[in-house]
Formats: sequence, structure tokens, C-alpha cells
Amino acid sequence: MATAHIIPPEELHPVAEAYRRCTFALNLNPVPWELVRQDVESIEHWLRTADADAADRFDSDYLAVLGNDDGGEDSSVEAPSTRERKRRAVFELCTRAVGRALLTALEEAIRVAPDRELARNHLNLSQAVLAAFADTLPYVDPEAYRILGKAFLSASDAIGSDGLMNHGGVSFDVPRFRSNLQTVAAYIRANFGDDFAAGPDAWLSPRPLASPTHRVRAVAPRRLPPGANLNKQLPRPRQILNMAARGVDESQTPLIALGDMAFDSAFIFGEPARSLAMSCNTCHNKGVTNPNFVVPGLSSRPGGMDVSNNFFTGHANNGHFDPLDIPDLRGIRFTAPYGRNGRFSSLREFVRNVIVNEFNGPEPDPILLDGIIAYMNEFDFLPNPHLNADGTLAASASDAARRGEAIFRRPFPQMADRSCATCHVPSANFVDHQRHDLGTVNGHEPYSMDRAMDTPTLLSSAYTAPYFHDGSQPTLRSVNEWFNTTFGLGLTEHDLSDLTAYVRTVGDGIDAYEDSVYYLDAEMEEFSFFLSAFEFLAEKNKPELMNATFQTIALEIRNHKWELQDYAHLPTMDALAELMDEAYEANQLGDWDRVVGSVEAYRRLYAANMEDLK
Amino acid sequence: MKFKILWARPIAVCFVVCLVGLAGHSPAWGASAPDQATAEQLKIAFISYANPQQVIEDIKPVVAYLEGRLRVPVKGFVTLDYGSSVESMRNGHTDVAFVDPLAFMMAHEQIGAIPLLLEVYPEGKPTYHSNVWVRRDSGLTKAEDLAGKTMAFADPVDMSGYLLPRDIFERKSLIDGVDRPDGGFFSRVYFAGGDEQAMRAVFNGFVDAAGVSQYAYLLLRPEERDQVIPIAQSIESPSHLVMCRPGLSDDIQRKLTQSLARLDISREEDKKILDKLYGVRGFVEAKMSDFSSVAPIAARYGFIKHPATFMSDAGK
Repeated sequence: MATAHIIPPEELHPVAEAYRRCTFALNLNPVPWELVRQDVESIEHWLRTADADAADRFDSDYLAVLGNDDGGEDSSVEAPSTRERKRRAVFELCTRAVGRALLTALEEAIRVAPDRELARNHLNLSQAVLAAFADTLPYVDPEAYRILGKAFLSASDAIGSDGLMNHGGVSFDVPRFRSNLQTVAAYIRANFGDDFAAGPDAWLSPRPLASPTHRVRAVAPRRLPPGANLNKQLPRPRQILNMAARGVDESQTPLIALGDMAFDSAFIFGEPARSLAMSCNTCHNKGVTNPNFVVPGLSSRPGGMDVSNNFFTGHANNGHFDPLDIPDLRGIRFTAPYGRNGRFSSLREFVRNVIVNEFNGPEPDPILLDGIIAYMNEFDFLPNPHLNADGTLAASASDAARRGEAIFRRPFPQMADRSCATCHVPSANFVDHQRHDLGTVNGHEPYSMDRAMDTPTLLSSAYTAPYFHDGSQPTLRSVNEWFNTTFGLGLTEHDLSDLTAYVRTVGDGIDAYEDSVYYLDAEMEEFSFFLSAFEFLAEKNKPELMNATFQTIALEIRNHKWELQDYAHLPTMDALAELMDEAYEANQLGDWDRVVGSVEAYRRLYAANMEDLK
Repeated sequence: MKFKILWARPIAVCFVVCLVGLAGHSPAWGASAPDQATAEQLKIAFISYANPQQVIEDIKPVVAYLEGRLRVPVKGFVTLDYGSSVESMRNGHTDVAFVDPLAFMMAHEQIGAIPLLLEVYPEGKPTYHSNVWVRRDSGLTKAEDLAGKTMAFADPVDMSGYLLPRDIFERKSLIDGVDRPDGGFFSRVYFAGGDEQAMRAVFNGFVDAAGVSQYAYLLLRPEERDQVIPIAQSIESPSHLVMCRPGLSDDIQRKLTQSLARLDISREEDKKILDKLYGVRGFVEAKMSDFSSVAPIAARYGFIKHPATFMSDAGK
């Protein structure tokens, strides 16, 4: 199994993991208090193993902060002042608790020396707990972070060695071991001890305010919380681009190439998505739902996210938690309107909103938008041999599916004499281009009119679970059961099985996934496709779009190079990335000859090595 | 000496958590202790690279494969370090063990252990080397640049994490003797406790350089790896190996050697086995002379007394 491309989760001690996730959650608006509560419990659990009295105080202080509020059943209506007070207080409590747990581990390490094994264990535990602050300290207090790192290193060195088979042992330098850990303990006590208070920053982070070397204006880069997963599914979903499927030479479609590049580019987004290397493709892998995508606090379940949040774009936060299931983009040119609630009739407007308001990007160049739309308009549904051109079942469909089709087309009085097919029109790609309120959305108040959602297509849907706008239905069967229950359709178990067989048949397709988990060669070929837009961009005099292209290719190569099955070819991957760096730098300087030279060199180097880069 | 990851596999490794979790446990892990195994069983000591319970799970398909090929019951168990493996073999509780070259050479001298197979690493060779690693942005480009700088090694009893990288500086006459090279060429030397700790010390800027395995950079996260570069390379060392106790029947030795040497990474079913065997690409038969490059180094530091034993294949 090729897994080298997978970005592994950072291995953190549970208390460090809980603290980092909790801090992330406390910075969201609204605060996901249930997630916070879980992490608070984890911190409390670990603190109790270290210091039961401190854990008792932590418990009572936490309850006092929440008051009569059990964590906010409806945090979306929490008053800003209440939220601010609570989140700061909880953050301070958690920071002090982690500080206490760390100090206890350090004190234990000091106490158990010279027991080599126990001292090593407690030393390692101390370092693991310090990782709670390690996403911030290197940036806001690098001098102190280095001192702490050297102290741990020296302490580790002081432990010595048992040697191998009674040879080569090194004795335990206990005074040096203790002295180094006392240095660490003093820093923790001063900065993250019982007096710790959150600084004035709106974005809460463990700043060592008492440290003389603390850089007040320095800011740590924003990170996703532990538990976040941006890795894509493997094997990859099969992407069908209409023009490629027709055998068109990709070098002839520079606008589509530009769009493909942009779809894969973090550089069309702003911070923090850009630094997190996120692109359209992160959520819509090859244009298809990425069911793995999850960000604790922003997702209610894998495969979805609240895109109007204050993490990715503070200014466009709508202030309430409304996560959406990531839609499948296959056949998107047939499925207007766009957005789960159909708020955009134009795909172009929808894409611009994603770039600017969901992921904080700059206003996109019109040609860039043209490219993305041209690319997305090439996305096709999976071919389905069980469907006729008019959406009826072909002769190859099963008997169960045929019985299900009849149910699908049957008007139900409970649905105002409408059938499933009324909205999912078989002859029109199973959509009606309308929005309907089916009762799947909780409105802002009873009888509110904010609950209509866009009719999704059923084509290729067998591979896009979960379902509904919020991903609340895990299977096609559960969707049918929901309709049966909600509208009292009176369908029997047998009926539901038939209906599900029908929907699954409609949603099926040929070769939904690629047949290999090794795809570096395909990625490298795609990067060449990106670069095929170079001459077009030159003709249009778009140096900024060239830069985005160069940067995107360089970043993608560096991200993907660990997929190589033979690491002997890493230098070639590095050289290709460096040529894109060079093209970028030359373009910045206006050195056109060097830009062209770098692009040509890239093409030559890739052509000479393409067989090895897999 | 703790085992360190020579070749990073797609397995989540967290030394910190693992080591904390190991406190108080005996050095051997298995469904039952190795000394409870019957005499008819082939007892194989696997070294732990992660949570021992996970390793026990990982070795099950390996054990099943070997049982099928050898036609004898195979009992796999996990030890936490090479010393435990060798001790277990010395006490008759282990027939076969996965060890590093230093542990093998010592085991050969002390108990007559026999080398069977060398692991083959990603570049297709049954050898590896150590590097001197620095941060890419450090401006350091060669070993000589480290005069007056700080240096991290993995462990004082470690071939690739100390003896081999140290040898780089000795061959350049930058250091000499056998004592810890503190305060001379280097301003300060640290033994970080493992390859990963040493690499992280460089990555984080706690030291100027680290001397560890050529593959140690893979212990960093993918996005971190490009920030460290090698500036010097040691001599080649034979790879980690499979050794057996003296007296193990020639038939079992032959079958075991053939069974592992036949594994072909291009075959999916074999790859599954190799993935569980430390992620190596395969095995080749080992000879005593494979250790001729590192035996003098081991002898210099007193780990072995008779390096000449490893200069020819007469001893096998």
C-alpha cells in the first residue's frame, strides 16, 4: 500500500493533543463547547494522574466558569461578551492545568533519578507534554524555546547509557540531569503556572508573557487542530474530463489547463488555507467528494465543513455552526443552482465566493475564473450502463431496481402527489434545478423560510456518501427510510430495499476508482498539463498567473515526492521543483529569458525522467 | 541501546509515548514468554519499533509465512533492544534474532551467533551509511565547518548513531582517540537518546549537526525533511541482519534463509510480508566478510576483540 504521500497525523501525547484542539476550538465563533468539554475532560484525566488536588481545583473552576450553562446547547445564540468571558477563562484554566501536568512530570523525573529507566520515561513524558505549547513557543519566544530544547537534550545526554551487553555503558550524571530539568521547570512555572493569564490577543494562544525574551508582536502560524485530516481517499476516484475522454490533446486546451492548475492551487486562496496547502482539490479530490476531510470544530462529521467560519475567513463568518456535506462536482454543468441551498445560480459566482469569502483569497483574475469554470465544465458523471438516455433503467438493471423505479415514479399523496422523480427528474440528470424545504434544516425559528435546499443529482451518488446537505444520512437506504418516515409513505421493508436498489443503480457507474494506489506518474503528468498554459499566459501577459502556476507546481512536487516508490529519484523531483522556483524568481525580476529557460528545462528534465517518476 | 528506526515505514511511530508505555514491563513480549516455548519450536526474536503489542500483531503474518515454508512451529516474540535478544539467545530462549551489525558482531564473539541474511534497503543494497545532518539554512557545507559547533549523536552504543558518524571526523583527522569528543573539535556533544531525537535537535536548531543514519531524516515529518541536508557521509556498513544461534540445524538455517531470500517486493503477497519485516525491500544471504568494514571500528571502541574474524568467510 503506498502511503508515503499521506500526511501522517502529528503524534502527540493525549494531554498535548487535547490542549491544542481545545485551544483551536476556543478560538472559533461559535465555540463548539461539546468538543471543548471532551478535551477538558481529557486534560482533567491526565492532570488527575499527576496531581489529584490540582485536578479537583480544575474541575471546580471549570464548572464555575460555565455557571449554569452546561456548555451551550445552542452555542450559536451565545452573546459575544459571554462567549468571550467563557472562552478566555477556560483557555486559562486549561493552560494552567497543562502547565501543572508538565511540572509534575519534571518533578517526578528529578525525583526518580538516578533510576535510568524511570528518569528516561519521565523525561520523555515531560517533552511530550511540552508539545502542547510547541506550536506557539518557537515563534513567539524562540530564544527560550532553544534554551528549553537544549536543556532537554542535555538532560537526555546526562542519563547516560546501559551499554550493550555490558560494554560501553555511560554513568548517569544526576546533578546535570536535575539542573537541566529545573531550568525547564522554572520557565514553565513562571509562564504557564498558576498565574497564567491569556494575553490581549483575540486569537488565544499560550504566550509566555512573563518571559523576558517573549516577542510580543510575533505570531505563530495558524494550524489545524489534532484530529484534522486533509488526506484524500485512496485509490483515487476516477475523474472523467470530457475533452480528455474524447481524446483531445491536452496541450490544445490551455484555459482548461489553467483551471486545472488553479483547482489544485493553494495560491489562489489566502491565509491560513494557503499555508496549509489547501486547494479546491483538498475537498473535491479529482472533482469528487473527499470523504476523509475533517476539521474538528468545523466539521460535524468527515466529508463536510462549515465553510462560513472565522478560522479560514474571519470577515465572512456567519456566526453560527452550519456545516455542509462536501458536494460531488461530477457533471456540475448540469446541476445548477450551486451551493447546498442553491444560493448561486452561476457557477462562476459560486467559485469566486469560495475563493474570496470561504478561503480568504484575493479577487481572482477573470481569466483564472474562466479557467476554473472551463475545467469544472469538463467534469462528467460516471458512465452508467444501467441507464438509458432518458434516465429510464436499461435492460441490464436488476428486477429489484425495476420495482424500485416504479416506486420512485409513483406519486404519493403524502407528498402533495409528487414522486421522487418530480424533483429528481430522470430525464434531466435527476435534478429539477429547484430548492425545496423537506424539513431537513432547522430554521432560525418555527415557520421560518430559510430551510430550502437545492435538489442534488442522484447520478454517481453511490460513491458520494454521506447524504443530505449536512451529511446526516450515512447511506442511500437511510435516505429512503428518512423519506418514508418523515412523509409517512407507508413503504414496506421490501419496498425500501427495491427503492434503494433503484437509487443505487442510478448512482452507480463504471470504474468509480482508479485501479492503482500508485499515482505519482499521473500527478507528474498533470503538472506538465498545468505548465501547458504557460504560452497562453504569456500571450495574455499574466505574470501573476504564471507565478501561481510555478508556485503550485513546485509545492505539489514537494508534497508528492514522498510517494516515489524509488527514493533514488528524489533528486530529480527536487530539481524539477527548483526549476519552478527559478522560473518564479525570474518572473518576479522580469527576467523573461530565464523564465522561458527554466520552463523549457523543466519540460526537458521531466520528459527525460518521466518513466522513473512513479 | 534502544532500537532505532533504520528505515521509516508507514507505521506511526511515537518513541515518547512508546517508551512511557513500556515502563515496568519485562524486556520480552509475546503471547507467552519465550522460555515457555517447546523445544520443537523455532523461536524468533523481533525487535520492537513501536508499541510492542502492535509489533506482536504485525509479526503474525510473518510467523504464519515462515511456518508454512519451514514446516515447523514458529514462535515470534518481541524484545525492546538488541541486548535482550542476544541475552535471550545466550540463554537458549531464542533461535533466531533480528539485530544490527554491532550486536551481531558482539553476539558472534560471545556466543558464536551465525549471520544468515542481510536486509536490503530502498536503494537496493544490503548496506547503509550514516550522515552528518545540518539545517539547510545553516550555511554549513562540510564536516570541517563543524569546528566549535554542537553535535548530537543518538547513543554512545550505536553503530550508525555514533560510531559510524564519528568515524567521518576521525578519517579527516578532526578528532582522535576513543573518548567522547566534547570540548575539542566540537564545542559540545550530546547523546540525544535516538535517531529521531538527534534529527529533531538539528531541525529545531538546538544543535548545529547530528550524526545518525542516512535514513534518519525520514523520521521527520514530510514537510520538515527538506529543511535538513547531509554534508558528510560515513563508510558503508552492512545492513541490519538475521542471525541464528550456533547449533541450529543446517536444514532449518537453509530453509529460513531461502524463505526470506525468496521474498520479492514486486509480488504483492511478498510485499505484505516485507512490510511487516521492518519495511525492507528484501533479504540477501549474509557472509562474515560483509562486516569487514565495520569490525575495525567496533574493535577500536572495545566492543569486539577479534576483528580479523570478520575479514573472511571462514568463520561462518
